[in-house]
Amino acid sequence: MTGLRTLQIEQVEIGYAPGRPAVAGVSLEFGCGSITALLGPSGSGKSTLLRAIAGLERVQAGEIRFAGELWSAPDAHRAPEERRCGVVFQDYALFPHLTALDNVAFGLSGPGRKSDAMAKLEAVELGARARAYPHELSGGEQQRVALARALTPEPDVMLLDEPFSGLDRRLRGALREASANALREAGAATLIVTHDAEEAMALADTIALMAEGRIIQTGDAQSLYLNPASEAAARLLGEVERFDATVTDGQAQTPFGEVGAPGLSEGAECAVLIRPEGVQITDGADGALAHVLERRITSGGAVLTLSLESGERVRATTPITAAHGAGDSVRLRLDTRFATVVAV
Amino acid sequence: MTLRPNANALAALAALAIAAPLLAVVALAVFGAWTDYLAHLAETRLTDYLANTAIVALCACATAGIVGAVSAWLVARYAFPGRAQLEWLLALPLAMPAYAAAYAWFDLTQAAGPLGFLPTVRGPVGAGFIFGLTLYPYVYLLMRETFAGQSSDAYDAARTLGAGPARAFTRIALPMARPALAAGLGLVLMETMADFGAVVHLGAPTLSVALVRAWAGEGSSPDAARLAVLLVTITFLILFIERAQRRRARQHAASGRVKPPRRVRLGGGAALAALAICAIPILAGLVIPMARLGWLALDAPVARGLGEAAINALSLAVITALIAAAFGIVAAYALRSRRPLGVAAARLAGLGYAVPGAVAALGVLIVFGQLQSGLDALWTSAFGQSFPFLLTAGAATLVFAYLSRFAAAAIGPSESALSRVTPSLEGAARSLGAGPRRVITQVHWPILSSGALLAGLLVFVEVLKELPATMILRPFNFDTLAVIAHNYASDERLGEAALPALLIAIFCLPAMVFVARRITRQERRAERQLATELG
Repeated sequence: MTGLRTLQIEQVEIGYAPGRPAVAGVSLEFGCGSITALLGPSGSGKSTLLRAIAGLERVQAGEIRFAGELWSAPDAHRAPEERRCGVVFQDYALFPHLTALDNVAFGLSGPGRKSDAMAKLEAVELGARARAYPHELSGGEQQRVALARALTPEPDVMLLDEPFSGLDRRLRGALREASANALREAGAATLIVTHDAEEAMALADTIALMAEGRIIQTGDAQSLYLNPASEAAARLLGEVERFDATVTDGQAQTPFGEVGAPGLSEGAECAVLIRPEGVQITDGADGALAHVLERRITSGGAVLTLSLESGERVRATTPITAAHGAGDSVRLRLDTRFATVVAV
Repeated sequence: MTLRPNANALAALAALAIAAPLLAVVALAVFGAWTDYLAHLAETRLTDYLANTAIVALCACATAGIVGAVSAWLVARYAFPGRAQLEWLLALPLAMPAYAAAYAWFDLTQAAGPLGFLPTVRGPVGAGFIFGLTLYPYVYLLMRETFAGQSSDAYDAARTLGAGPARAFTRIALPMARPALAAGLGLVLMETMADFGAVVHLGAPTLSVALVRAWAGEGSSPDAARLAVLLVTITFLILFIERAQRRRARQHAASGRVKPPRRVRLGGGAALAALAICAIPILAGLVIPMARLGWLALDAPVARGLGEAAINALSLAVITALIAAAFGIVAAYALRSRRPLGVAAARLAGLGYAVPGAVAALGVLIVFGQLQSGLDALWTSAFGQSFPFLLTAGAATLVFAYLSRFAAAAIGPSESALSRVTPSLEGAARSLGAGPRRVITQVHWPILSSGALLAGLLVFVEVLKELPATMILRPFNFDTLAVIAHNYASDERLGEAALPALLIAIFCLPAMVFVARRITRQERRAERQLATELG
């Protein structure tokens, strides 16, 4: 067995209805001091997997171990209270009848528990709100209390279920950073479940992509963004244009140029996945001709919807200061670093 | 636009009629002639009455609270064989009158009885235990609904913070359900305070008994009224505490979205234990008492006038239930109107449940007595003779007293049914071309009628079980099953008391089965809907 202080998930299966498992043979490993994000659409089984790690669901097949100790197996189940797993629930699950301080102190025992809890609250700058009940706290304050409560017993594993989804967009950024710092400081093996790619990329060292009960790709944000293993994986992290092609001479053809297709056999059907940044407007005369159909302003720049001569449509992001408008003709070239070829 | 038939005047009138007995009791207590009976009582037995009342109430709450909360928790949060049946079976002991259960359990556990090895069920502790066994369904029903609707996240969070199942239940799930517990225990206490038969039979006379004795034994209505005021003060205090809990609960409602919990599947020994824990209250509160009463009835002659008493009891129950259901509908509309008069009227009537039967009966006697003497005076001055009808001679006074006590029970179901008729529902019907009349008959009534039916059945059961008001107000030579059972039991003729007591339970049972299944089915439908949405 490898991995001192590592949480290991081996071929875990969890199902409520026969023949339709919520989690279908998932393996994943993450160690203390690291933050892993489990990114997937709703209904992909990621929350179920999180609950299984916490011991709130039983597994039907496979194993969950921490530091070599068996936590979950079909015939063995360690109770949640014996796992040293801290959980931040999506709705925070603060105890409504206890003050912020008593919520944080719940996981402690012994005479010093109140002062320890107070120290933790002060660390998240909520010392002044210690006597407040959850319904008297703002959303951001509730989130911080929930995080402090989960971290206070010094768990080996921290699990966060969509921890920022209930918050105002403006609040999210600041809280995300503060939470990430607190989690890194705590040094637990941390798993964050989210459906927000931006959140996963901002917080995690490693991202595991989950869809339909399976993990489809694992890696760091950059490699996942630039080298997705499948269209589904690519779409989980952001927008992507897809062009169908056939491998010829080890290359896949797109309307604006060739992309290398390593590992695919000659003549194979494939899909070329291109991030919007990969489609660039060029001043040169060699690019593919396209007409701008629509220009829309976003926070990241101007997004152009273009029509190629073949009739295919494609989107490109340009600086907001670039003056291309609807009706203009432009030439496009491909930055192949943003393109990936996958088998279909 | 919301359709709000103007039922306020009607509701106000009905509420006044319902509240009148209580006001009359208070007036008499204040202005009535003082005798030395009360002083004598205060020196002698009043402390006993008060102590009994306190002990009975405490034991009833402890039993009903524990049994109700634990069974509700198991049924709401765990899956085990028989759970779906137990879910509604657990409500059925409400069909068993407390005095009938008292006859049976006392007989079973007395020294010569078949369960003589157990401590004899008697005295204030025994009476409290009996109330707990027969009234716990109030706690069970309210808490089951709360537990089933409560997100399991808080409980789960407690588990991940190191609390075992027992600690997570007592520290988190139970406190979060405290308003439901308070409401359930409030109902248990109201019934306990109102009871007459069980506490007399088990030798634990409470304030209700003191009141009846002051009225019947001493013939002193003002003194009885003063005891009644004392009793009502206590019940209203309980009501006040319960309402305060509920207000607090709204503030403490859990944060975030509520996700109904998935039931945890129990296997093997745990499933068997859960099954046993849930089956025991049904056996102890319903099956064993019924079996014992049946056994006793087999060996005893049939009580005289039983058939007539059964017909009397059923007619009273049906008539009262119909009127109460109608009143419930009127009150629901009055509450919906949000006009101060209507709302105040409905709330006033809603207090009736906190008025014990003996108090209501006393109040009705006073009101009708005053009405009679007024009419007599009027008639004498006009025709030279007294009013030809004796108002208090008929069963109408009885129905009136029942209504003043139980109409409150009829408001809730209709109110919650009518609340499902949302403004947008009406708007949809109106925009589809339905006029107000069609909206009432085709939208309101189908939804409202289920609530009214539920209300009617609940009142039917309550009236059949009612004893003290019936005893005080029944016309001469007019017996009901409850009265016959009580009279025979007081004569130590339990054999003859058994059959009428058993008949009450038998008549109540189908109504309770319907009510219980209806209440639990509504939720299952919601659950299925959720399952399809999730799937």
